[in-house]
Formats: sequence, structure tokens, C-alpha cells
Amino acid sequence: MDFLHNPEFGDKLVTLMAAFVLVFQIAMVGQRSLIMNIRLFGAQSFLLAAIAAVIAHYNHAPHIYVAAVMTVLVKVILVPVLLERLVDRIEIRHEIEPIVNVPLSIVISGGLTLVAYIVGESFYHPETGAASLGHNTLAVAISVFLIGFFMMINRRKALTQVFALLTLENGIFLAAICLTYGMPLVVDLGVFFDVLVAVLVLGILVYRIRETFESMDVSKLRRLRG
Amino acid sequence: MRWELTRFSPGGLNAPRRARILAFGLALAGALLEIAAAAVGVLAPAGAVFSLPFGVELFSWTVRLNPLSCYFNLALGILAAAVSIYSFGYLRDMEGRRNLGVLGFFYNVLLLSLTLVFTAANVFFFLVAWEVMALSAYFLVSFEHEKEATRRAGTVFLIMSHAGTGLLLVGFLILAQAAGTLDFAAFHHLASKLPPSQQGLVFILFFLGFGVKAGVIPLHVWLPAAHPVAPSNISSLMSGIVIKTGIYGMALVFFDFFDAPPVWAGMVVLCAGVVSALLGVLYALMEHDLKRLLAYHSIENIGIILIGFGAALVFRGMGHPELAALALIAALYHTLNHAIFKGLLFLGAGSVLHSTRTRNMEEMGGLIRRMPVTALCFLVGAVAISGLPPLNGFVSEWLTYQALLAGFGSTAELTRVAFPIAGALLALTAALAAACFVKAFGISFLALPRSEHAAQAQEAPVSMRIGMGILAAGCLALGLGATWFLPVFDTITAQTIGVKMGASLTAANGLVLTSGTFRGGAVSTVGMAAMLVLLSAIPGMFWLAWGRRSRRASGPTWDCGLPGLTADNEYTATGFSKPIRMIFSALYRPRREIQADYEVSLYYPTAIRFESEIEPAFEKHFYDPLQAWLFRFAGRMRSVQAGSIHAYLAYIFVALIALLLFGVRG
Repeated sequence: MDFLHNPEFGDKLVTLMAAFVLVFQIAMVGQRSLIMNIRLFGAQSFLLAAIAAVIAHYNHAPHIYVAAVMTVLVKVILVPVLLERLVDRIEIRHEIEPIVNVPLSIVISGGLTLVAYIVGESFYHPETGAASLGHNTLAVAISVFLIGFFMMINRRKALTQVFALLTLENGIFLAAICLTYGMPLVVDLGVFFDVLVAVLVLGILVYRIRETFESMDVSKLRRLRG
Repeated sequence: MRWELTRFSPGGLNAPRRARILAFGLALAGALLEIAAAAVGVLAPAGAVFSLPFGVELFSWTVRLNPLSCYFNLALGILAAAVSIYSFGYLRDMEGRRNLGVLGFFYNVLLLSLTLVFTAANVFFFLVAWEVMALSAYFLVSFEHEKEATRRAGTVFLIMSHAGTGLLLVGFLILAQAAGTLDFAAFHHLASKLPPSQQGLVFILFFLGFGVKAGVIPLHVWLPAAHPVAPSNISSLMSGIVIKTGIYGMALVFFDFFDAPPVWAGMVVLCAGVVSALLGVLYALMEHDLKRLLAYHSIENIGIILIGFGAALVFRGMGHPELAALALIAALYHTLNHAIFKGLLFLGAGSVLHSTRTRNMEEMGGLIRRMPVTALCFLVGAVAISGLPPLNGFVSEWLTYQALLAGFGSTAELTRVAFPIAGALLALTAALAAACFVKAFGISFLALPRSEHAAQAQEAPVSMRIGMGILAAGCLALGLGATWFLPVFDTITAQTIGVKMGASLTAANGLVLTSGTFRGGAVSTVGMAAMLVLLSAIPGMFWLAWGRRSRRASGPTWDCGLPGLTADNEYTATGFSKPIRMIFSALYRPRREIQADYEVSLYYPTAIRFESEIEPAFEKHFYDPLQAWLFRFAGRMRSVQAGSIHAYLAYIFVALIALLLFGVRG
């Protein structure tokens, strides 16, 4: 059971899981079913919680456990349940209609990953002996962030934009946790509360948009222009 | 609630009346305190700095009292005291018709913000006070907002004012970056340590930014629109002191932030001053709206102040501190003088407007019989602004001439040619100003009334007469007492240039003013006033000697054989300014249209309609194209504002990626 106390093993574990976070993110870009998207988001958040727990274990930072538990509670359970109920209530079952088609979207996601690695590279200075954990994971975090942003642009419906925003937030969480080995608990709590409020507000907003415009297509907001 | 307020009001005053008395009474008290504080600050500078307790590190609410800021506060205090007294009477008949509470509120806010602009000790506080000033002035200008012209003037003022503030902000940021702080104390002589190209940029930014507020041509277009439409007490304040904040700002930048600005910068200021002075008076001559005429004269006088500034800057750049001090004293003296006599003239115009309900000079006439005190006060202001001895306008313009004349001998370089040219154009300006006030006074106050309103005009209430009287006395005091007043500038020139000139400007007996320069002139306003009194005694003596024995006969005015002269026979303002319109037709490009209706013969018209207007050159050739271009540009930019969330997100996204990649590179 030596690997339980070997930090290098922890690093490899984190990198592996981070890779899966990225895979899930790209899967979300490719997946057109709304329910499937929500579940992928739940899985991604679960991996995130696992990463937090691993870092907490290997770096002896017990307060990150709290962040991990909070992630499970809020992002793996609460938010997906809320979103699925919302989907049920407004009775949409049909597929996501992205602006750019799926194959091209995935190519663009690849390009964004490349950009993220270029950016992440500049933070990597092995000669200074800084923690190398940030290296791959930071790049993944930036890719998740950028791809999340791209998803927001690429999707027409307000609801699909909501969880594009949520995945974007996952990217930020990942970056924060792998760079700082856990922010102060207060910051974490604030972020979670923020996410929860965002989902609630956006949920209400989505509902109102649909009532007003008979559609969730935010392109129709164009009509508000003077 | 309203009922209770009325019931328990002190002295049984109703709400509008209470608002008027409270607002302007407190403003008067504040102005008097300000005069006292500023006088102490100028005469015995202590360099006091106060901070309000609720500031944070970079953004502290700090004021400082140095001689320069106290001097501007002195001008503000004197004018505000007179205008506050005047307002009691001026606003009385607006009670119940207009919301005087709002007027009083913004009036006091304006006075406060002006005080703070003159005393703010850091960039943050200065800009806050500056913006509050612009906004309160905007609300005061737009007070009679039901008129289209008023709203338009207010909008133009607001837009230009903010464009100017934008330039100032950039200038301040450049300096703040070099200083590492926002504190004005750290900016002292800082600009001169910047590289030359940045020096030039800072200079231009500040000159344009403050030039908008001061009304320097070609940034003046808001001024003749905004000053006339405001209530007259506000016009007085706007023209007297609000535009002087631009002058204060320039003084602060040119003489505090810069050590010795480049010589070309001084030349730019000098040229702008000459152009403003000459064009200002030329446009004033063509105006028949009394308040617009005065507004154009403000541009002219700002030009005269800038001539002094420009000369001072050139002298500093060439290393003549005494001459620089002389020119600076001339400019600052003229600043105070203009505040007083222009304030007086606007108050006089306000009395006329109050009584005749018109600003059009062609509908006035004969007012001197009906409003003698107003007429006398207006005449004092007119003599002062025309630069005639022995009043204050003469002293400051004389000092400006002396500085310019001395400038020719100060250097052997070609730049010296600029001084006599500027002097000659300044002389032309003064002569045209005198012509303009012959017109303004003669057409408005002399001869027969041209309209029913003018015929029924009544003298202004006592408080208005007191307000004007104070300023008229100020014109006289600053003219006759110039030799006693000049030492006031010692502390200011010591602060800004480092020399004291007060003693050398006064000749031995204390009554004669000298320029203190080699081969300079000397003049005594007291002597001239004495001579005026003595000379006017000579006809009296003649009459005493011979006149009593001769017979006096009175007959009708010479009427060229057409008895029964009416107002239709009078000289009109348009007619009076015709020769000048012809001489400068290349500038004015006058357009005129005559339509005659006749029945029998061409030589017996039944009605003649005459229309004449001059071309507003700057509006037509600069601002209209600029506006058209801006609208075209905005129209194109509108497609960026698509109203689509996806497009907005995409903008952010692209910007983010660009910044990330830029950050990695850098």
C-alpha cells in the first residue's frame, strides 16, 4: 500500500482523471441529447470531486475534502436534478441544435485544447522546482474553460447555455484547485453558492424566456433591440 | 405632510419663497466666508492641506490651499456674493411658476464644486469636482427646459464638456503613471521630466481639455449657445467663473506640473489666444441678442487671458522669469477683472431681460430713462470691458501690452516677431470691443424705445441693484486701486515662477503703475481719473465765467426737416455693425435677402423685408462634418451591436483568446 503515500502516484492519478474531465467535455460538445449532456456534466463534476479528494489526500490538506464533498452535493446531485426537472417541466425532449455542426465543433475544440496547452506551457518552469502538478492539469483546466465558452456561443437554447456555463465553471474550479492546492474554504463556499444561484436564476430566466417568446431560442432576443 | 411644512414654516413664508431665501441667503454667507478665507490664503499663504476622513489610499478627498487656488476662490467668492444678492430680486417673480428649490440646490452645488475644483489636491478629487461642476452647470443651463433651444444648448454643453474631460483624464493618467501616485504634490514640475514627445502630448491634451471649458476657439461652440439660455444670474456665474476653471486648470498644468514648457507650447497658447480674442469680438459685433453678444465677449476675454499665459510660457521657456511673472500677473489680473465686469454685464442684461422680457437689442432702446441704475452699472461694465481707463479692464490689458512689448526686446530670435503682431491684434481687439459696446449700450439704453415692452420697462428691484452695484464698485476699485492690489500677486508668482514682481510694478509714490521692465511704460489710473474730473470741471468754469449772461434756448432734436422723429428713424444694431460686416466679409460671408412689395412703382414700396445672417464658419466647416462623420461611423458600428447573445459571447471569447496568447508572448 505504498502508493497511497507516494505523491508522484497522486500526480499521475490527478493527470489521468483530468484527462477524463477533458474527454467528457469534448463528449458534451459531440452529444446532442439534452439529458445525456446533463449526465455527462454530472460525471465530469464527479471526477472533479475525485481530483479534489486525491489532492487533499496527498497534500494533507483536509479542507479540500470539504470542497470535494460540496462538489458532489451541489454539482453531481443537486444541479443535475434541478436541470432535469426543469427539462421535464418545460417538456423538451428534442435534440440540441448547435450553430456549428458537430464534426466541426469537435475540430474547433481540438484547436482550443491546443491554445490551452500553449498558454499552460508558459506557466511551467521545471527548473525552478515548482510543483509540476499544474503542468498538464492547468492546460486541461484552460481547455475545459475555453471549450465551455465555445459551447455557450455554439448553442441556441438558453438551457443548453446554462450548463455550458456550468462546465466553464468546472474548468475554473479545476484550475484553482490544481494551482493553489485548494483555496480557502470561504472562497470555495462562495463559488458553490454562486453556481447554485446562477442555476436557479437562469432556470427562472429560461422559463420566462420560453413563456414570452414561445421558444427558448435566445436568437429571438434580437427582437428586443431598439 | 405638505400642509404641516407650510404651517410651521418660519415667518409664514411659503415653500418657494423659503427656498429662494434659504438657498441664496446661505450661498451669500458661504461666499462671504470664502472671500475671507481666500484673502487670507493669498496674502499669508500657509500651504494648508486638509483631508476628509473617509478616503482610501489612492482616492483621498484632499484639498490644499495655495496662493493660486485661493486667488481663484477669491474671484469666485466676490462674484458669488454679488450674484446671490442679485438672485433674491431676480427670481422673485418666478415664484410659483418655477421650481426655485431645484435652482437653488444646483446653484449651491455649483458653487461648492467650483470651490473644490480650485482646491482639489489630487487627480481623483479634482475630476470628481470637475464632473459635479459640469453636471450642476448643465442642470442650471437647462433650467428653462421647455424651450427647444435650451435643451439643445444643454446637450451640446454636456457633450463637449465630457469630451474635454476625456482628454484631461488621459493627460492625468500619463502624469500619474510617471509619478506613481495621483497626488498633485507629486506632479510638481514632473511633466518637464518626461521625454519631449510625451511632454508635447501632455501639453496638447491638457490645453484642449481645459480649452473646451474655457471656450477657446475653435472649441467654443457650446459657449454662445449655453450662456444666453440660462437664467441671467446663472449666465453671470457661468461666464464669470465657470469658464475660468479652464484657466485655473491651464495655470495649474503650465506653471505647476510643467517647470518650463517647450517654447512652441507657449507659442501655441499665444496664437490660440490671439485668434480667440479677435474672432470672439468679431462674432460679438454681429450679435443682436444681448446675452449672446456678451457670451462672445467671454471668448474674446479668454483669448486676452491666454495671450498673457502664452507670453508667460514663452518667456519661461527662454529664461526670463521676471517677464514671465509680468505676463502671468497680467493674465491672472484679467481673469479676476473679467469675472467681475462680465458678471456685472450679465447681471445688467438680466435686469433688462427681467424688465423687457426680450434679449433682442432691436426691441430695446431708451432704457436709460426708465432704468437709470441698471444703465449706469452696465455702462461701467462696458467701459471696463472695452479696456478704457481708469477701470480695471484697462489695467490688465495695459499690463498685457507691456509684457508683449517687452517681449520684442527679450530675444534676438525670430520668435520675437510674434510679440508685436500679437500686441497689434490685441489692440485691434480692444478697439473692436469698444465699438461693440458702443453698439450694445447705445442701441439698448439710448434713444427712443423700439417696442412696447421697452417703453414700459421698470427699474430693477433693490437687491438686483445692490448686486450690480457691488460689482461696479469692484470694477472701479480694481482700476483705481491697482497699485495697492498688485502686491497680492507676489505670493502667486513666487509659487509658480519663483520671483516677486509686486514692488517693481509700483513707482515710488504708490500711485503710478510701471511695467518694471527696461524702457517700459508707466501709467496712473488714479491720475487719469483725477484728470477726468478736472477736465470735466473746465466746461463748468466756462459756464460760470460767461454762460450765466447768455440766453438759453431749447429746440427739437435735429430732424433733417422731417418733424416728428419716431423709433423707426433710429440707428439699428444691424445698421451700426454694417461697416464692420463689410470690412470682414471674407470672414463672415454674410448672406442677405431683401424683398420689397410694391404696387405702382419700384420706387414706392409698400413693405420691405430685410434678412441678413452671417455664416457660422466653425459650425459649418468643422462641427457639421464632424457630426456627420460621427453619425456615419456610429451607423456602421451599429451592426456590431447585433442584439445577439451569441455574437456578444463570441466577442468576449475572441478577446479572451487574443489576450491569453498576447499574455503568453509578453
